[in-house]
Amino acid sequence: MASGFAAGTVSCGAKNGQEAATGIKASADVKKIATQCQGCGANRCGIYVYVKDGRVWKVEGNPRTYNNAGTVCPRGHAYIKELYNPDRIRQPLKRTPEGKYEPISWELAFQEISTKLNLIIMDNGPQSVFWAQYPMANIPLAFRFMHALGSPNTITHGATCFTARNAAFNATCGGLPDNDLKNSRYIILVGRNPAGGVKLQQIKDIADAKRQGARLVVLDPRHSETAAIADDWLPIKPATDLAFLLAMLNVIIEQGLYDQRFVSEHTVGFDNLRDGLVTYPPEWAEKICDIPKETIYRVAREFASYKPRALIHRGYHGGYGAGYFNSFQTARAVAILNAAIGNYEAVGGLFIPLKPALGELINGGHPAPNIPDIEKTDGAGVPGRYPSASYSDGIVHAVPELALSGKLKAGFVYHMNPVRTNPNPTRVIAGYKKLELLVTIDCVMSETAAASHYVLPESFFLERDDHVDTVHSGPVGQLTMVQQVVKPMYDTKPMLEIITGLSKGLGIGKYFNFTMDECNTLRLQPFGVTLEELKREGVIEVGPRWVEGFKPCKTPSGKIEFYSSQLEKWGLDPMPRWQKPLVSPNPSDKNSFRLIHGKQAIHTHSMTANVPYLMQLSNRYDMIRLWINRQRAEAIGLKDGDTVVVESDVGKGSVKVRLTEGLHPSAVWMPSGYGIFSKYLKTAYGKGINYNDFLNTYFDPAVGHVMSNEIIVRVAKA
Amino acid sequence: MSAPESLGKLPKWAMLIDTTKCVGCLACVAACHNQNELPVTEYFNRVEEQEFGRFPNYNRRFLPMQCQHCDNPPCVSVCPTGASYKRSDGIVAIDTRRCIGCKYCILSCPYKARMINKEHGYVHKCSFCAVLLENKTLPACVGTCPTGVRVFGDLNDPNSEISKLAASKKTVQIGKDLNTKSSIYYIIG
Repeated sequence: MASGFAAGTVSCGAKNGQEAATGIKASADVKKIATQCQGCGANRCGIYVYVKDGRVWKVEGNPRTYNNAGTVCPRGHAYIKELYNPDRIRQPLKRTPEGKYEPISWELAFQEISTKLNLIIMDNGPQSVFWAQYPMANIPLAFRFMHALGSPNTITHGATCFTARNAAFNATCGGLPDNDLKNSRYIILVGRNPAGGVKLQQIKDIADAKRQGARLVVLDPRHSETAAIADDWLPIKPATDLAFLLAMLNVIIEQGLYDQRFVSEHTVGFDNLRDGLVTYPPEWAEKICDIPKETIYRVAREFASYKPRALIHRGYHGGYGAGYFNSFQTARAVAILNAAIGNYEAVGGLFIPLKPALGELINGGHPAPNIPDIEKTDGAGVPGRYPSASYSDGIVHAVPELALSGKLKAGFVYHMNPVRTNPNPTRVIAGYKKLELLVTIDCVMSETAAASHYVLPESFFLERDDHVDTVHSGPVGQLTMVQQVVKPMYDTKPMLEIITGLSKGLGIGKYFNFTMDECNTLRLQPFGVTLEELKREGVIEVGPRWVEGFKPCKTPSGKIEFYSSQLEKWGLDPMPRWQKPLVSPNPSDKNSFRLIHGKQAIHTHSMTANVPYLMQLSNRYDMIRLWINRQRAEAIGLKDGDTVVVESDVGKGSVKVRLTEGLHPSAVWMPSGYGIFSKYLKTAYGKGINYNDFLNTYFDPAVGHVMSNEIIVRVAKA
Repeated sequence: MSAPESLGKLPKWAMLIDTTKCVGCLACVAACHNQNELPVTEYFNRVEEQEFGRFPNYNRRFLPMQCQHCDNPPCVSVCPTGASYKRSDGIVAIDTRRCIGCKYCILSCPYKARMINKEHGYVHKCSFCAVLLENKTLPACVGTCPTGVRVFGDLNDPNSEISKLAASKKTVQIGKDLNTKSSIYYIIG
């Protein structure tokens, strides 16, 4: 930043002369309010929202929040205007027998929903009820509500996104580490693209590290946006990252390049691992993954040479979050490779982020419901079903089958849109429509809302307070929160008021006898921080602060487990070994491709396609296109910009193509934010297609994830 | 008329854009859009994408583009009313009250940096966020960039970051052969 400039000075509009010179309207009243962005839900960046003459104007990054460090991504800038989207839901709605939606009062909606739910629980038990949501700051309310009802079925989108990664790191080191990218000297991204699936702090830290001379290697079938600033782009054949990683491990162990002291002190199962790896030299891997053996040797040696200040990014969705049959073991290999060079809890390596322990409602005398002593209906964490799946994430795409088989009867969907974001929408709709009661809580009429019996409009994030949150905790614990910036425009309510309203008729009112301010004050109690201070500052550092040095792992051995006897007990591979992908393109069919997908920086899941400005960017930059390797495309007579028909055994759709040299020939790549089919979302409706239209319903055996890149499509000129 | 000069000593505003750091996320485009309260379809900056090589030896580059605030601005020479003018701090500005919407400037700009405001009929474009500079705040596109692609500052201050970077790094001005003498310096990898 140039000296003499302050990011975050309130600009009170233009003076008279400048108004003409700049086109900016003069204004008397500008307010700047700290809150948390909700444009993706994952990063929850610290922002300042500017309100000019009562109207939300612009956003600036809070320079002190860990996840964004003063910057804002395009979604963050644009999403504030969603406040004024004409497609917002303005009052509670109830579906009529004809499938239309009519306004209903909050009181009546609460009454009807709780009456129905009481009957369902009486007949089928509380385990027939689920709550699905994107894991945002208000998640404690969902757990509280479901546990009060006696149901364990709180579900996130995790099984469609990241559960293979989480479970693999849990099995290896007992938690999900963060990456100290800024201090790393050698960074490998395996399918991770922080410039597309934006995490501002990561992309900033990578740029900073590169400025200090770090090398960046991107292993990705597609030349990702992050690859544009990489030293090496390794265009690996999709579904074969595991072969590359096993060969890297083979080189590092065979050639004695690992951190011998770290391995002997802090890991278990090294001998088993070494014995298991002998069959995976680079000579073997190159035939599978299309990366030359010389490159694998080089990357393995370079990676180890910087130990412990080198890392393979822990990953997210891309690569091995929930993509392939072998994703769980791919993530295990990533975790193990990091441990082999001893980078756990080291500067420039991986570390377990430190979350401050928030105060709880019980400290204010509010009773806490017991965790129900029954298994999750979707089998997450249940031995014999999906033992290594997590209790808090569940398996969201199991809901349709469980509904069709009568095991689930009622559901709440909060800030999530499984009808669009789960595989095979026809099946998902059939399942959700079978529910006796479906209630969606959202700001717009998503596909899921449009399949619900009741739609309850939550106030937009700029219109409400949410829970005090620890999401920005990395090297140091930070507190942030969503706070109200403007008054609600319509007859909407914040989450707590909706749940409180529902709880009264369900006999669980005693668990919701508090206000958001009271809850947040209790959450802040351990830190001597007042709610007013947090609202004024937007972020407060409360510690603890990370210090270098190995800490005991939350694994059965307390060490990093190369060999996991826990996994063995569950009937899963105790060590990573090569697993073929579930499906592969037909080599004798010129039109056969693997369909892979990824994010663009301007879109989040299915929730931003209907933001007019972001859809305008999609159109202006011609981003609603299927990427296809130029040679493969020309072999089937395609030119850039042609429309193609894409077809799998599940679905069919048409889309424009982008011919590129930046994609592995075996794959076509689809941006993941399009294909909205709710006719209520007028900006996005009918624009583009979505990979879920082509994806079969799979449950991987380890965690039950979707295997969202196990799709073979035929692509032909329309 | 010229804008009031309230910055004390005379600066010479300039920007450096390091394309080797750009990941094409469009945060700068969205930030600009909000700051300037533009209609959905209008914009003052853009990011161009360029592709090089053949699989697997392939690369691409993102090139942020906007008004270059030329010292020899073609848009000012062709303006029949004096609406487009060069400020003493280096900013090429538009007095929208004098603009008759003839679009000569749009045609003359080699950077395609100007557009018509559909509602009012005048031409508008990047002003280096002159309003923010008055309050010693960086232009909206600079502060929001996650990788630090853009450096903004005063070329007349030899201690400013931009002066140092411009002196120490190999920079280019786009369209130098047109003798526009632009105020945006690029690092092209």
